[in-house]
Amino acid sequence: MNGLQTANAPSSKIVVPHFIVGGISFLAVAILLLISNAELLTAYFDNRLIAITHIAVLGWASMMAFGALYQLIPVVYETSLYSEKLAVVTFGLFTISIVLLPYSFWIGSYTNLLFYTSLLMFFSLLLFIINLHLTYRKNNKPNIQSKFINTGIYWLAATELLGTIIALNFKYNFLSETHLHYLKIHAHLGMIGWFLLLIMGASSILIPMFMISHNLNAKKLTYAYYFINAALLAISIDWLFMQTNVGVYIYWMLFVAGIGFFLSYVYEAYSTRLRRKLDVGLKYTVIAIAALVLPLLTAAYLIIEGETTLFILRMSSFYGFSIIFGVISMLILGQTYKTLPFIVWLDKYQPYVGKFKTPVPRELYSEKIADYQFYSYLLAISLIAVGILIKLPIILLVGSILLIIAALLNLINLMKMVMHKTKLEDFPTRK
Amino acid sequence: MEAIKEESDKGQDFIKKIETDLMDNVLTYVMDPEIEIDIVNLGLIYELKFDGSNTVDIVMTMSTPACPLSDAIVQNVRESIMHKYTNFVVNVDVVFEPAWHSGLITEEGKEMLGM
Repeated sequence: MNGLQTANAPSSKIVVPHFIVGGISFLAVAILLLISNAELLTAYFDNRLIAITHIAVLGWASMMAFGALYQLIPVVYETSLYSEKLAVVTFGLFTISIVLLPYSFWIGSYTNLLFYTSLLMFFSLLLFIINLHLTYRKNNKPNIQSKFINTGIYWLAATELLGTIIALNFKYNFLSETHLHYLKIHAHLGMIGWFLLLIMGASSILIPMFMISHNLNAKKLTYAYYFINAALLAISIDWLFMQTNVGVYIYWMLFVAGIGFFLSYVYEAYSTRLRRKLDVGLKYTVIAIAALVLPLLTAAYLIIEGETTLFILRMSSFYGFSIIFGVISMLILGQTYKTLPFIVWLDKYQPYVGKFKTPVPRELYSEKIADYQFYSYLLAISLIAVGILIKLPIILLVGSILLIIAALLNLINLMKMVMHKTKLEDFPTRK
Repeated sequence: MEAIKEESDKGQDFIKKIETDLMDNVLTYVMDPEIEIDIVNLGLIYELKFDGSNTVDIVMTMSTPACPLSDAIVQNVRESIMHKYTNFVVNVDVVFEPAWHSGLITEEGKEMLGM
C-alpha cells in the first residue's frame, strides 16, 4: 500500500448516512429483542427471531460495513470507488429493503410480501456487489487484505442468492429439502463468508495501524484466507449436494486452522504494539477478535452432540448470538469509534489544519458515554448469553434492557459526531 | 578571504537557526490526529533543509503507509510553516523507504505512548 489515499475517499455525505441508519437499526434490534424475549428460549427459526436477525445482520451490521467499506476502499484497493452515484442509489434501496424484508418475516407473510421484499433486497445488494467488484477491478496491485474483502463480497452475493431462492421457494415450492436445511447454509455463507472475511480483511489493516505494530507475518493471513475459504466452499457443497456426516469434522478443523492463523496474526500485532494503552475502540476490537473462539467451541459441541433437543436448539441460538453480538457487533461498535470521528474530522477540519487550532478526532464524541456504552454492552450480551443457555427469562430481560441502553448510548455518540459543529481557535502564541 | 568565510559562516548559522526553529517551534505543533503525538517526537521527519532564501524541503514518512490522515498531516506541515514564514515555499516528500520504526521515536514520544 502506498498511502496518501485521502484524495480517493468518497464524499462523507455518502458514508455518514450509513452510520446513522446502522445506529437506528441497532436500537431497533435491541427494542425488538426485549419485545421478543420469550422467543429467544424457543427455536432460532421463529418468525420474530428471523426478523430481528435480518435487521441485525443487514440493517445494523451490513449497513455499517457498507459505510466503513466506502471509506476504507481507497486505502485497501488503492483506488477510488467505481461509482458514488451507484452507492447513493444502493443506500436508498437498501434502507427501504431493511425495513420491508424483516417486516415480512415479523408478520409471517412468507408467500406474499416476502416474495417482493426479498427481490428488492437482492437487487439493492447486487448494486453494492457490482460497485465493489468494479472498484476491485480498477485496483492494479491486489494484496491479501483486498482479496479477503473482495472474496467476502462474492460470498455476500452467494448468501443473497440463496436467501432469495429460499424466499421464492415459499411461493413456488421447487426445492427438494425443507427451507431450514437451506437456511443453515444461507446463515453460514453470510456469517462466515461475508462477515468473517470482511472482518479479517479490514481488521488486518486497521488493528496494526491503530496499535502501531510493524513487520507482522502476513503469511499467516494468506493461510487464514485459504483455510477458511476452502472450509466454507467444502461445507457449502457438502450441505447442498451430498449431506455427508463425516465431512463436517474436517471442515471444522479447517475453520479452526484458518481462524487460528488469523488470531495468531492479531496476537502478534497486539503483543508488539507500540501504543500500550488501548482506547475504547480497540478494547471492543480485541474482545471481538478473542470472541471468535466462542462459536468455534459451540460448533464443536453441536457437531458432537448431533441430536436435536430443546437444549441443542438453545445452543444453536447461542451459536448465532455469539457470532452476531460477540464478534460482529462488538467489532462494529469498536471500529465506529476508530472510523467515524476521522471521517467527520476530515470533512470539517481538513481545510483548516495548520491555519487554526483544531480539536483531535477523539474530541468529537463523549469518552464517558463511550465507556458507559462499552460496559453496558458487555454486561448485556453476557447476561443474554447466560439467559439463553440456562433458560432464565429474568436474566434475558435485564440483559435486553441493558442492550437498549448500550444501543441508545451508541446512537447518542454517533449523532454527536455527525452533528458536530466546526470549532476553530487561533493557535496559542508560538515562540 | 576571511570576510567571505565569515559571511558564509553567518549564512550557515542563519540556515541552522531557521531549521532548528522549524523543527522545535513549528513542527512540534503538528500532531498525528490519531496517535495524538507531534510528528517530530514520533520521528516522522527524516530530513528538513532550508535553502537560505525561502524554500524548505522536507522528507517525511507516516507511521503506516495505510494512514488515511496522511494528506491532512502533510497539509498541516505546509500550512504551519507558512503561518509563521508567510513567504516560504514548502515542498514535502512523503516516503516509505526506509520504513518508519519505533527506534525513531524520541524519549519524550516514548513516554507519551506509554512505552
